[in-house]
Amino acid sequence: MKSKIRWFSALLALILSLVIGFSFNSNQTQAAKKEAPLKIGMEANYPPYNWTQTTDKNGAVPIDGSKQYANGYDVQIAKIIGKKLHRKVVVEKTEWDGLLPALTSGKIDLIIAGMSPTAERRKAINFSKPYRKSTFVVITSRNGKFAQAKGLNDFKGAKLTAQQGTLHYDLIKQLHGAKREPAMRSFSAMRQSLQSGTIDGYVAEDIEYKSYKTVNPNIVAVNLNKMQGFKVDHDDSITSIGVKKGNTELLNQVNSILNGISNKKRDQLMADAVKEQPQAGGNKKENWFMSIMHRYGSMILGGVGMTLLLALVGTIVGFFIGLLVGIVRTIPTPKSAGKKWGLKIVDWILAVYIEVFRGTPMMVQAAVIYYGIAQLWHLNLNRTVAALVIVSINTGAYLAEVIRGGINATPKGQFEAASAIGMTHSQQMWHIILPQAIRNCLPSITNEFIVNIKDTSVLSIISVSELFFVGTTVASQTFQFFQTYFIISMIYLILTFSITRIFNFIEKKLEGPKNYNLMANQLQVEDPKETGFEHEQ
Amino acid sequence: MNNNNEENILQVQHLQKKYGDHTVLKDISFNINKGEVMTIIGPSGGGKSTMLRCINLLEEPSNGKILFHGENILDPHFNRNTFRSKVGMVFQQFNLFNNKNVLQNCMIGQEMVLGRSKEEAKKVAIENLQKVGMDPFLTAKPQQLSGGQQQRVAIARAISMDPEVLLFDEPTSALDPEMVGEVLNTMQLLAKTGLTMVIVTHEMGFARDVSDQVVFMSDGVITEQGTPQQIFNDPQEEKTKKFLRNFRNNEL
Ligand SMILES: Nc1ncnc2c1ncn2[C@@H]1O[C@H](COP(=O)(O)OP(=O)(O)O)[C@@H](O)[C@H]1O
Ligand SMILES: [Mg+2]
Repeated sequence: MKSKIRWFSALLALILSLVIGFSFNSNQTQAAKKEAPLKIGMEANYPPYNWTQTTDKNGAVPIDGSKQYANGYDVQIAKIIGKKLHRKVVVEKTEWDGLLPALTSGKIDLIIAGMSPTAERRKAINFSKPYRKSTFVVITSRNGKFAQAKGLNDFKGAKLTAQQGTLHYDLIKQLHGAKREPAMRSFSAMRQSLQSGTIDGYVAEDIEYKSYKTVNPNIVAVNLNKMQGFKVDHDDSITSIGVKKGNTELLNQVNSILNGISNKKRDQLMADAVKEQPQAGGNKKENWFMSIMHRYGSMILGGVGMTLLLALVGTIVGFFIGLLVGIVRTIPTPKSAGKKWGLKIVDWILAVYIEVFRGTPMMVQAAVIYYGIAQLWHLNLNRTVAALVIVSINTGAYLAEVIRGGINATPKGQFEAASAIGMTHSQQMWHIILPQAIRNCLPSITNEFIVNIKDTSVLSIISVSELFFVGTTVASQTFQFFQTYFIISMIYLILTFSITRIFNFIEKKLEGPKNYNLMANQLQVEDPKETGFEHEQ
Repeated sequence: MNNNNEENILQVQHLQKKYGDHTVLKDISFNINKGEVMTIIGPSGGGKSTMLRCINLLEEPSNGKILFHGENILDPHFNRNTFRSKVGMVFQQFNLFNNKNVLQNCMIGQEMVLGRSKEEAKKVAIENLQKVGMDPFLTAKPQQLSGGQQQRVAIARAISMDPEVLLFDEPTSALDPEMVGEVLNTMQLLAKTGLTMVIVTHEMGFARDVSDQVVFMSDGVITEQGTPQQIFNDPQEEKTKKFLRNFRNNEL
């Protein structure tokens, strides 16, 4: 029992040292603040404000932690700011919902993401002066019923949507009689829905219209700002740069730099962005599969690598966590009262761990841990490391129960025979019980690995570039949703299929032959003198 | 087979075992001398297994004393694992370690508990496997063996620990009839080496031939105790007579 506790504390020490390691990292960046790169948060998925590309052409900026680049109106504004501040600009590609927490937790210095400074957001962060003023429109089909709408009451029965978490979505309420469909995550998804007819239109800014128009001429924009009775807060019709509360120095710097960018310059930058943004289609001679693989093959391959890394490391580390927890939870009740209570408390803590991590979605765990640690302790966890930790802890909770079950399912006779020859509890566990329990748990562990390959896709919430995240990026750039996700799903299928086969093969191998082949296995015993017992008396 | 200077190796005094309110062993007392073979017979559910399991502490006795060389094994300061290594046990269900092959089954206890070197453990294991005739199967896994073969390996495993006392709990009850003989033969040879043995069995012929003492147990008490001659040929208690009547026709 003592040695179990020692392992457990060793594990804790390992986790602690990891955490401390990262805190040193963050301290170092703190110290080198002046020369530190200016970290800009954006989706890199919202053309023409910002998008992802695979080369640095047209003055794109590298995306942190990947081989990709970001470009767009936001990126060009960021570069002007970076130049004036003598700081190199790096883009932290972050999901829309993750932008505010990333800023408040210090993972990024500025949000430049086509974001409007709504009253709600102002509660959490500060905003600069606007760097873009916008007009609100409903984008709808040229031939559709609502293309000619003149007033707020002309949208009766229209199925409308807007981007999740944006002001646009609230604006739909002003269009009387319109059906507010569930909000969508990205503009690419809304474009796709409009094209396929599942919605009649979506609320956006004129700039989205301009940019969409270049790839799809069959749309029109119905201007809302001009309609009678349309009310929109001044804050809402502008886009500003988000700065962390209390960081007035940076805010003032940003404001004075923005003052120096003329309206003409701004329009020019936006016009360039609209022109340079990724286009749908491309070379018509290549089929869609070849064209996607040609342009994004290496990116997708990187996603496969990341997914496999997360699943593999997560399952292996999770297995060891599960093993430790499973062992501790099957220690027989000790005799002395002190040990008994110690074990009870440890057992209780482990039970809570298992309940919490099995009882909440991994996506939520990822968000809480990644942003929570940053906000509470100002530790800037590396995204991949954070993802590995989350998958491992999560897998550990599942496998702890699997292994506990495996230990309990090992025949009682195995324990008894080991006790009867005088083996201690830990000798019994290591040499007799665990090898059998693990062997019996192997199908469940394989299963957990397969589940991890698929479920790590939820880690896109913290912008880890695993396969699904890559797929989303590719889809939003090619606008070939079905094709891209089809390729991605095939890759998932190939991965899970081949891994299942490999593990089945290993299991078969471990099982060994049913019968013992005497001739083939007989060992030559050196000294076969006499058989039978000798009398000792 | 009895030594003249009779040394009590194991003394059970007023042993009691309860599971909740259910008293399985009521008041069991007996002595075993070094080198003696004692068989325990009696109807199912009489507490024979429980008694055997109390002796090597697989079950915690509720009351009473068990003395090993005069030392109370229930004393909190008594080293139980060392004691267990000196008191071997052969189970009805063999309980070979499923993840180990025949040779490893016989070596692991020697290495882990007795601290023997790998070479020494292997030598002892092979010697004992030869004695039970299982030496051609050194690398076989338990699943690849018949019941009788498994039980012989289990015996080799037990004697590889050089125990002072060996406990058998119905070692042939789970075997197909044609395999009973090979195991009983092995035990019979073992009895002749002077090893102290406590055997729970339903093989009355065997009990009569190898025992120094026979104990008849039913309902958690020792109903009758004596030499094989006394118990099998001249039982005093009605319960013993009734029990033996079932066997007399086919075995004795
Ligand atoms: N773990 C246990 N819990 C409760 N009762 C038990 C347990 N083990 C044995 N018993 C009971 O003790 C009695 C004696 O069992 P046992 O020692 O196996 O008898 P025998 O070996 O003579 O057939 C039976 O009534 C059985 O039901
Ligand atoms: Mg029994």
